[in-house]
Amino acid sequence: MEEVEDPQEVEPVQPVEPVERADPVVPVEPVEPMERVEPIESVELIEQAGQSVSIIDGREHRVDPRSVTLDRVVGLGSILASAVVPFVGFTIGWGLGGIPARVYFSLLAGGVVLFVLSLVIGYKWPELHHRHLRYRVDESGVRIRRGVLWRTVISIPTSRVQHTDVSQGPVQRSYGLATLTVHTAGTEGASISLSGLEHGVAKRLRDHLLPDHEPDDV
Amino acid sequence: MTSEIRRLHPMSWLFMTATSVKGLIFPVIIVLFASSANPWARYELLSLLVIGPAFVAALLKQGIYNYRFTDEELVIRDGIFTKKERHIPYDRVHNIALVRNPFHRMLGVVSARVETAAGGEPEAVMRVLTLEAVDELRRYTLGKERAGTLAAGAGTASVGANAGEHDIIESNDDGVANSAMTADIAEHSMGAPSSTPSVLLRLPQSELVRLGLISNRGFIVVAAFIGLVSQANWWDQDWEAYYDTLRESAPTWTTWLLEPGSLTMRILLGAGLFLLFVALLRLFSIVWYVVKYYDFTLQRDDEDLHIEFGLFTRVSSLIPVHRIQLLTSSASLLHRWFGRADVDLETAGAMESGSGLGGQLAAAGATGSRQWLAPIIEADRALALIREVMPEIHLDAVEWEPLAPRAARRILRKSVLLLMLPTGAAMALLSLTRIPVSGFHGLWLPAFILPLIYVWVSGWVRNAGYALTDTAVFFRSGWLARKISVVRFNTIQTVWMSESPFDRRHHMASVAVDTAGAGKMGHRIHIPYLDLEVARGISRRLYAEARATEFRW
Repeated sequence: MEEVEDPQEVEPVQPVEPVERADPVVPVEPVEPMERVEPIESVELIEQAGQSVSIIDGREHRVDPRSVTLDRVVGLGSILASAVVPFVGFTIGWGLGGIPARVYFSLLAGGVVLFVLSLVIGYKWPELHHRHLRYRVDESGVRIRRGVLWRTVISIPTSRVQHTDVSQGPVQRSYGLATLTVHTAGTEGASISLSGLEHGVAKRLRDHLLPDHEPDDV
Repeated sequence: MTSEIRRLHPMSWLFMTATSVKGLIFPVIIVLFASSANPWARYELLSLLVIGPAFVAALLKQGIYNYRFTDEELVIRDGIFTKKERHIPYDRVHNIALVRNPFHRMLGVVSARVETAAGGEPEAVMRVLTLEAVDELRRYTLGKERAGTLAAGAGTASVGANAGEHDIIESNDDGVANSAMTADIAEHSMGAPSSTPSVLLRLPQSELVRLGLISNRGFIVVAAFIGLVSQANWWDQDWEAYYDTLRESAPTWTTWLLEPGSLTMRILLGAGLFLLFVALLRLFSIVWYVVKYYDFTLQRDDEDLHIEFGLFTRVSSLIPVHRIQLLTSSASLLHRWFGRADVDLETAGAMESGSGLGGQLAAAGATGSRQWLAPIIEADRALALIREVMPEIHLDAVEWEPLAPRAARRILRKSVLLLMLPTGAAMALLSLTRIPVSGFHGLWLPAFILPLIYVWVSGWVRNAGYALTDTAVFFRSGWLARKISVVRFNTIQTVWMSESPFDRRHHMASVAVDTAGAGKMGHRIHIPYLDLEVARGISRRLYAEARATEFRW
């Protein structure tokens, strides 16, 4: 576990060639303050805070920190939901005399341990997940780095992007977050999603990745 | 200029009914067998229930279905309850696959399938058309962008047919007129003159026999037999009565065989039966391959590969070389004993399963969109074939790089752990019981297996490797069964670099590339056990190369 905690493990892969730094594109739409897009812990971001910078800058970004809260809410909610059903069921069974008290209480004890453990993981995991989820966009494509234990870096050239979606679930909407899904002609990577993006950022990324520069002859 | 509205052949309802009923034949038969009491009364009822609605639906569909050609698109109107109008731009059409079985031939018609790059269902299935209509269809849809020859892409790799149905399947292949249907259509065509294709590979019978010996397709026949037997309840017979009859009627010199007697005899008999079974399996396998791949021919016609094979089921497909996503050559131990290998490829496009024309076509193909380029070929000619098919990958310039130097030790350690943990656990459990096991007994198994593991791991690591040329990435792996795969940079979709927790401990990573139409089971470009820095370099390079090229469907 201590390996996981160590953020130094994931040193960013150097760009393929000298990054063609995207000329400071002035975004069309009013840009959210950058600290919204980037967690404060991101050093690069502090330098740029307050400036309207394009997100297509060939640098690593983290997704919106509110996604941690969102993931916690969703995770804890589902843990609660999946705990309530067996609890109620067994309690009724015990109350009606179908389940011996000895069995019931040992089940209960095991259940409580499991429940507490899931609560801890459900609270801690989104943070770890967020820490290890990064994306980088430049003119040539997107690179997504993700995974806490099994870590993967997925590189998607813009020329291979078939289309992109921005989707928002009800809970995401209340947080102003969205999921960007990039579709390629591949198989395993037929659709690659990046969730926890600020909605405006997701839309900007989508617009950037639109394969409009490609003749749509497929 | 829009053409007139075209309709299907007047006899289409027959084929549509047949298709919808075909899928129900087996359930009906099973029901019949299951209900042994007076099945005939129900048979008529059942067949009415099945055929009636199918017949009505077919008639309706024939009345509604029509299509026309505009300047840019093929427009198809269809749908009994929900009206559908489908616009298929000509330049999206990759292939028109045709199917013809003896009934089709009798009426001089074909079923046509319009394929586009979209995976899954074919864009349109036209059941059935006259030969003239097919020629017109092909001239409109495929003639546009490919002037000169009408030959265009066969979208699917898995063009085939159920061996039992004796269909003839054709792709558009005006260049090659060595099958009945192609010749028939060519007669009705006012198409362009065909170029002369060059034959890259033609398998004689002897090779197919070898293929049957190497591969183990005999089990297919056995499985089919068992299925048949279990359906017909043939097991419920008085086998002892057979045995008695056999013993009584057999000539005297065989009595020692049939007499229930000595143990040696029984063992001999058992062994003999087993050998017979194995020999039969191989025989079935040989027959299966000879029938299925009879006269396998691989031809190259400009940019297209044309593959044709089959005795009853003549299968023919056309694959534009640029649509090949991945090429694999593999050689199992048996292959290498015979000095042979095989070559297969993956294409993007329709991957199908299920019923209907698509299912029929897919059924004969391998899994997913994988297809033989050569089911069997001399080992040294395999590379020559790849070189011929894809000269741009510079096979000769390949310099194999090994995996990380510590890979062997790591795999070895992992295997030993995987072996020791269950053994240790089993020993611990056994020591709790009264079975007298001393600690030494637990060492027998590892002592026997460890050397094997060592040989396997060192062999595997020695043979595994990767290579990057100017245009493609290569990966090879396997020890007893060896495989080499190649993916050209322009067909790389995404590049994946992964680190498992174990990888991180050893400062290693793996690199994989994703391609269109990649099957789940096949050999892929997935290079494990690389030094982290090397893996980064490779993924960077692959990404840079992929983005510098353009993906063509």
